[in-house]
Amino acid sequence: MQIEMEICIDKAGIQSTIQDLGRYPYLSQGVPISGAMDTLSAKLANIAIGNREDLATIEFTYAAASFIAATDLLIAYGGEGALLVTDELALPAYRPLFLPKGALIKLQNNNHGARTYVAIAGGWDVPTVLGSKSTYLTAGFGGYHGRTLAAKDRLRNDKNWSENTLKLFNQLKGTEPKFTKWGILAKSFFPEDKSIRVVPGREFCWFTSASILYFASSSYKIALNSNRMGLNLEGTAIERNKKEELLSTAVTPGTIQVTGNGNLVLLMADCQTTGGYPRIAQVAAVDLPRCAQLKPGDDITFRYISQENAEQLYMEQELDIKTLKIAINDKLQ
Amino acid sequence: MFLSVSKPMIDQPQETTSGYSFQTYALGEQAVTLAFGNEISEETAEQISSFKELLSQNSFPGFNTTVSAYTTLTVFYHLMEVLTSDLVGATCFEKVSNYLHQLKQTTYQSQAISKPIITIPVCYDEKFAIDLQEVAQLNKLSVNEVIEIHTAARYRVFMIGFTPGFAYLGGMDRRIASPRKSTPRASLPAGAVGIAGNQTGIYPLKTPGGWQIIGQTPLKMFDIHRDQPSFLNAGDEVVFKSISIDEFNQLSCR
Repeated sequence: MQIEMEICIDKAGIQSTIQDLGRYPYLSQGVPISGAMDTLSAKLANIAIGNREDLATIEFTYAAASFIAATDLLIAYGGEGALLVTDELALPAYRPLFLPKGALIKLQNNNHGARTYVAIAGGWDVPTVLGSKSTYLTAGFGGYHGRTLAAKDRLRNDKNWSENTLKLFNQLKGTEPKFTKWGILAKSFFPEDKSIRVVPGREFCWFTSASILYFASSSYKIALNSNRMGLNLEGTAIERNKKEELLSTAVTPGTIQVTGNGNLVLLMADCQTTGGYPRIAQVAAVDLPRCAQLKPGDDITFRYISQENAEQLYMEQELDIKTLKIAINDKLQ
Repeated sequence: MFLSVSKPMIDQPQETTSGYSFQTYALGEQAVTLAFGNEISEETAEQISSFKELLSQNSFPGFNTTVSAYTTLTVFYHLMEVLTSDLVGATCFEKVSNYLHQLKQTTYQSQAISKPIITIPVCYDEKFAIDLQEVAQLNKLSVNEVIEIHTAARYRVFMIGFTPGFAYLGGMDRRIASPRKSTPRASLPAGAVGIAGNQTGIYPLKTPGGWQIIGQTPLKMFDIHRDQPSFLNAGDEVVFKSISIDEFNQLSCR
């Protein structure tokens, strides 16, 4: 049992693409992982409406986008890029939202972060390309015809309805926008300390001790030319004490490379599969979603943790997500 | 110097033929990189190809995929599946590393199955070969000599990277080596064949690029509609064959 839903894009926004949790099978053929930059927000938006966490979402960048409900909708959104409003009514994030046919939903600037994820009951229906629905703009494949969304594009939902999704829809449906009294407390997933936790990279020792200390004790700024491939960081240049060239090897989102002139690049979802710059650090996977929310001009600071610690944090987050799913399930019984 | 951690640091040349030799390090929480020394060589490439094959036949719970590079093989896995597996180790990185170190005790066999050499047709006509003159001049050769040298060698795919399907080919004759363009071009056509330093490669997609362009292939080097979208894979052996513009047009119509 599933109900067909459709939206029509009114204003496309700066960069709006379909993204799921990424594409792994063709890494060896140079195909990047792609997927949501902030995977946690995308997961939580899906979980809020009873979807599998890996279903496709729309990734909006900043605000200034809007869409029209061509049918009744059950959606949820997550992330920090915008606040969703309809008819002056602010719609809460991380919560199942019912919107009647004809509603105009706007993304309003909130100055908090960069990206917002909109999930729909059953997931967005776009073809699976090379094992994923994620858009990879550089090569123009995946997602909605391999491109960013444009005004008048029509997007439908897929058939992956769960029992909980149906229950939520029946609970909320009517003629007015409506949402549940409960919502996911996304804040509980983030540490109080705003610094980004990193594990020393393989070429950590290629840098002077002064630079290594500086890296973990000073703040960097997100540069304007940052994108889905990587965040360029502005700050004091990192100096090397080892001049030899690194032979290109595998890199992954979260890898922090030091370029020839000592600048830092934090690789993100669409990064190349291999790279030849020495790696000073690797961002802990649990902190990468927070990096995805940084805007040009924002500050970023780092602190070192161990590999064991990073693994531990990842496991804890997975367990928290599991617990959350159980809690939502209990609520709907 | 680069010796396997599990072995004494003494010179034992026979080791290279009796087992795989690599160190492991973590790449994030869900990948481990195997470093097979730090020099580009046919032997290292063989070891990487062969170990990748061995791993595909002896996978472990949670295994995801691999990425080959010049001297490394990176093994991606799903952390939660490794965690709940019966692999031995205090952390998931250790569990996978231990497994791979155990697997490397397997006798190293140079790939018995010799793969066919892949021929790539290239049109070196000046219509495509926008930097061929420059490469010839830089190396004090004639244009025809550059083409002869480029088509005479047998190349090895060391790595796919940069963009989907971009193959880094080693084995080029140093007589035609050329530095990158000082300013990369904003757009190169899919199929452009280039030289950078001592390497040659083919641009699979229309992208910016800084390599010296000496020709173009009509083949689709990357096509999402194929089972294997990348025409080339790490470990493949490749030769180039010179074709005319007519042949180029015929082949690109197919």
